[in-house]
Amino acid sequence: MSVLREKVENFLYKEARLMDENRFMDWFEMFANPALYWIPANQEDYDPDKHVSLFYGDYNGVKNLAIRLSEGKAFAQEPRARMRRVVSNIEIEDGAEEVSVHANFIINEIRKHEQRYHTGRSHYRLVPADGAFRIKYKKAVLVSLDEAQDNLTFLV
Amino acid sequence: MAGGNGRAIDYNALVKPDAVHGDCYTDPDIFADELKKIYGRGWVYIGHVSEIPKAGDYIRSWLGLQPVIFSRDKAGNTHVLFNRCTHRGASICQEDKGNTGGFRCEYHGWFFRLDGALSAMPYADAYGENFDKTQYNLRKPPRVDAYRGFVFASMAPSGLSLREHIGAPALAQIDYACDLSPEGELLVQSGATKLAYNGNWKLQMENSIDGYHPNFTHQSFISAIERMTGAKMEIFNGDSKLQSRDLSMGNANIDSRRHNIEHPHAQARLQAMQKTAWGKKYYDDLVKAHGKARAEEVLTVGGTHMNVFPNLVVLAQQVRTIRPVSTERTEVFLRPSFLKGVPDEVNTQRLRAYEGFYTTAGGGIHDDVEMFNRVHEGLRCSHDPWLIFRRGMHREQTDNDGTLFGQCTDETAQRGMWRHWKSVMQQEMN
Repeated sequence: MSVLREKVENFLYKEARLMDENRFMDWFEMFANPALYWIPANQEDYDPDKHVSLFYGDYNGVKNLAIRLSEGKAFAQEPRARMRRVVSNIEIEDGAEEVSVHANFIINEIRKHEQRYHTGRSHYRLVPADGAFRIKYKKAVLVSLDEAQDNLTFLV
Repeated sequence: MAGGNGRAIDYNALVKPDAVHGDCYTDPDIFADELKKIYGRGWVYIGHVSEIPKAGDYIRSWLGLQPVIFSRDKAGNTHVLFNRCTHRGASICQEDKGNTGGFRCEYHGWFFRLDGALSAMPYADAYGENFDKTQYNLRKPPRVDAYRGFVFASMAPSGLSLREHIGAPALAQIDYACDLSPEGELLVQSGATKLAYNGNWKLQMENSIDGYHPNFTHQSFISAIERMTGAKMEIFNGDSKLQSRDLSMGNANIDSRRHNIEHPHAQARLQAMQKTAWGKKYYDDLVKAHGKARAEEVLTVGGTHMNVFPNLVVLAQQVRTIRPVSTERTEVFLRPSFLKGVPDEVNTQRLRAYEGFYTTAGGGIHDDVEMFNRVHEGLRCSHDPWLIFRRGMHREQTDNDGTLFGQCTDETAQRGMWRHWKSVMQQEMN
């Protein structure tokens, strides 16, 4: 395994673990400033200023999401979802200033005795920082992006 | 009164002036009766004309449980067509939206034009010389009408017109939303966020015009706003000037006119528009279109926050459709609305504000949905079946336009919705 692949995998697995364990502020620390986090709605690609997204936020938007979810006042997460996700099918493209990474995810989520699966593929643009990376851009494309959702208030 | 399965249902006993029986949410016979008397008779919202702007455009929608196609033909006319082949019943439109030259039933190849006319069947000679194709056009609801781009259909061949169904006070609220555009038009073509919950469709209708819940259900959102602005958000308090209003005909709103017009921020907001080129252009164009007084009124009021019975919600930057599935399941489609003829920045700002609250990963709507699921669970307790809607009954007032209003945490709006629901459910089918 290449050194780059090992570093990228370690970074994605850490992010997955923090999201699974609802460690919102630790997850937020993985973002660069400025950053962009995007979860498209209805279709995979479009101009996010012209079409609604499930999430479209900059560094402060991600920070507000993390704080809001960690405060314990978001009742759609009371009780919280239990989850574990698998990250796989990782494809890496090394660039001069950033690393472009695509990865599939499968989330098994249980909340209030109901089990749900959420799957998709994320595109990251990672910038080197502190021997690892920071997330400059993350676009999480859910397979269910055009379906009626019961609850999507955890991290994807 | 004969209900869905011929069972006698006494609606007068189920809806009291100050309380509603849980069966109105959970009884499958009542749901079946609603499909006939509300969704199979009265005006039902289908879609917005801007969703199908070009010839050949179509979307799928519903009239209660019945799937329909909302299409635009080559001459530019719009149609509401039942999504069912007149031959052997297969649905003929599979995509939620698209553009097409017509609809082919892929079972036996019957082809229908965008206006529903049967155009061709394979091996047509088998139907004989006297076969009249026009007898097999796609079926349509007998009445379709629109107000400011909002298209409704009714299965009743006659009865109240759409304007009578909505009523003057609710029409004026729709005007507030549309007049924010200098061209007077909303554009509903920026996608949808789609939600589902376990429970009755009326839970979402009650909640859309509920000024009592935000300070409690939406603590996480309010806390985030207060953190960002550094100021306490005191809009939905017991002494707020927002009003809970029964617009008649089952329509209702959280009326922000008095609150927004009298609030010291009102003038500041108008002045803030002068600080950017796009804000100034928007203000100037709106004044040019509607005159200064109306332009400033609509800008200050900021749209509306209303229900149109039974399945449409119009909010400041949103058009919401409620789709009943069963007593156990409801789907809600929320669509951001853009303003026609304004600088892009105005619409992007509307979109970001919408996303902050109304998307599935956003800060608000899912806490509402959580409460619908909780009500649905609670309603299984049949020991005390009543839901109490008596807040502010003693202080309700009649306004100049005949509408009833109370303070925003009062349940005037919900009482109006339920009164209308009862009167519709008590009217037998002809």
